[in-house]
Amino acid sequence: MERRVVITAESSITPIGHGKKEIMGSLMNGRSGVRTLREDKFLAAYIHSKVFGTVDYEVEYDFPRKFRKTLAPVSFYACQVAKEVMDSSGLDQDFVSSGRMGVAFGSIHGSPSVQRAIYETFFNSSEGAYKSINASDYLKSMVHTTAVNITRMFGITGRVISSCTACTTGSQSIGYGYEAIKYGMQDAMLCGAADEYDTTTVAVFDNLLACSTAFNESPEKTPRPFDVNRDGLVVGEGAAALLLEEYEFAKKRGAAILGEVVGFTCNNNGGDMILPSEKGVEQSIAMGLRDARLNPEDVSFISAHATATKMGDIVEARAINSKYGNRPLVSGLKSYMGHTMSACGAIESVIALYMINEGIVFPTLNLEEVDERCAMINHVREIRDERIDIASVQNFAFGGVNTCLFIKRMA
Amino acid sequence: MTRDEIKKKILAFLEEEFEIQNPGLDDNLREKHEFDSIDAIVLLEYIEELIDSPLLQEEKKRAMDIRNINQIIDYIEGLIRARS
Repeated sequence: MERRVVITAESSITPIGHGKKEIMGSLMNGRSGVRTLREDKFLAAYIHSKVFGTVDYEVEYDFPRKFRKTLAPVSFYACQVAKEVMDSSGLDQDFVSSGRMGVAFGSIHGSPSVQRAIYETFFNSSEGAYKSINASDYLKSMVHTTAVNITRMFGITGRVISSCTACTTGSQSIGYGYEAIKYGMQDAMLCGAADEYDTTTVAVFDNLLACSTAFNESPEKTPRPFDVNRDGLVVGEGAAALLLEEYEFAKKRGAAILGEVVGFTCNNNGGDMILPSEKGVEQSIAMGLRDARLNPEDVSFISAHATATKMGDIVEARAINSKYGNRPLVSGLKSYMGHTMSACGAIESVIALYMINEGIVFPTLNLEEVDERCAMINHVREIRDERIDIASVQNFAFGGVNTCLFIKRMA
Repeated sequence: MTRDEIKKKILAFLEEEFEIQNPGLDDNLREKHEFDSIDAIVLLEYIEELIDSPLLQEEKKRAMDIRNINQIIDYIEGLIRARS
C-alpha cells in the first residue's frame, strides 16, 4: 500500500523571524539573521568564528509549569513551533490521541546547556554534586527530549521517531514521517527539529577550520554559499515543525494543503565521516528521484545544503550538475541565517513551501561572485517570480549521511 | 514547628513551585493537580530545607506513598519527631 502524503501546517522560529510573515519579510528584503556570537562565559572567548545565526527576539511562551519543568531551551523552541502547528491544524483530540498520529522530531544532541550542568558533576565527586543532578535533568537533556515533550504536551500517542543525525535530523524527521504515512503505519505525523544556542557545536566546526572567520566584523556578510570569497559555515539556532497527513484524510476534513511530499531518500557515503562525497550525493539524488518517480527535468528548484565550506559547496554543485544539469534553480538558504544544525532541513522545507505557494524564488544571499568551481549550476542571484512545481531540499551531515526531500506544488 | 505552620509553608511552596492554587487538604495531588514523581523529588528537597536535616533513603522511599497534603504534613511531623 502506498498513500499520498501532504503538508497541512507549518511553523518555524529562525534567525530571520518567527512565522511566515516575518520570515518572508526578511527574505524579500535580503535581511540576514547572522549576528555577533554572544558571550557564554565558557567557550565563546576562545572560538575564532565570532558569528552566529541568532534568534535575537523574544519568543513568548505560555506553557503551564507542568510542561515547563521538563523543557530545556531546545524543547521550548520545539514545543512552540509544534503548538503553532497543532493550533492551526484543526485536528480533534480524539484523533490526536488515537495512536494514528505520531511525532518525528529531533535535535543534534538534546540540550547541551543542561548537559553542561550535568557534566560538571563528573569532576566534582561529592554528595552536593550528586544531589545537584535534578530529577528532570535527564528528561530535559536526553536526545529525544524534543519529541517526547511534544507528545506529552499534545497527548500524541502514535509512533515516536527521534532522529539525531546532526544536520540531516530535520530532513530525516520529515522523510521518516512521510514514509510512516505513505506505507500506512500512521495517518498524520508532526515532523521537525530544533537546536538551541550552543557554543560547543561552534567549537567543533571552529577546530576543524570549517567556520567562517573573515567576516567577524560584518556578520551579515557571511555565510556566502558558492561565492568565491566564502570561508566556512556559520552555526545557528532555531526550529521548525510541519504537519504531514495522508492525502484523503486531509482532504476529507477540509485541511488547507500546502504541498505534497512525493519522495525522500537517505543514504551514506560509505567512507569518510567528514569529507563530502560527490558520488554519495549523486547517489542520494538518483535514489530520491526514483522514490519520487520523477525525472530530473521535473524538478524546478533545489534548496542546496550549501553550508559555504570550501569543498562542500563544490562537491554539491558538481553533484547537482551531474544529475540535473544546469536547468533547475538553485539557492542556498543558509546564507540568510547560518546553519541551524538539526533544524536546517525542516526550516528549508518550510521556506521551500513558501516559495512554492507564493511563486517566488529567493536568491542565495551574499553570492556576489560565483566561484568558477561552483558555476556549473543555475544559481539564483536575485528574487524571481517563478512557478515551482517540484522543489528538492538537500541536506548532508557528519558521518556521511545525505538526504533529499521532494515537495510538490498542489494544483 | 506547629502543624498549622507546616501547612502554611507547604501550601505556599505548592503554589510557588508547582502553581497549585487552593488545593483541598485531602485532594489526590496526582489525580487532581498532576503532581508527579519529578515534583515529589523537588518537594523532598524542600522538606530537607524545612527541617534543616537531610532525609535518609528509607525516609524518602516512604514518602512515595503520600497522596495528599494532610499526608505530607503527617510525614513532616513524623520526621521532626524522629529528630527531636
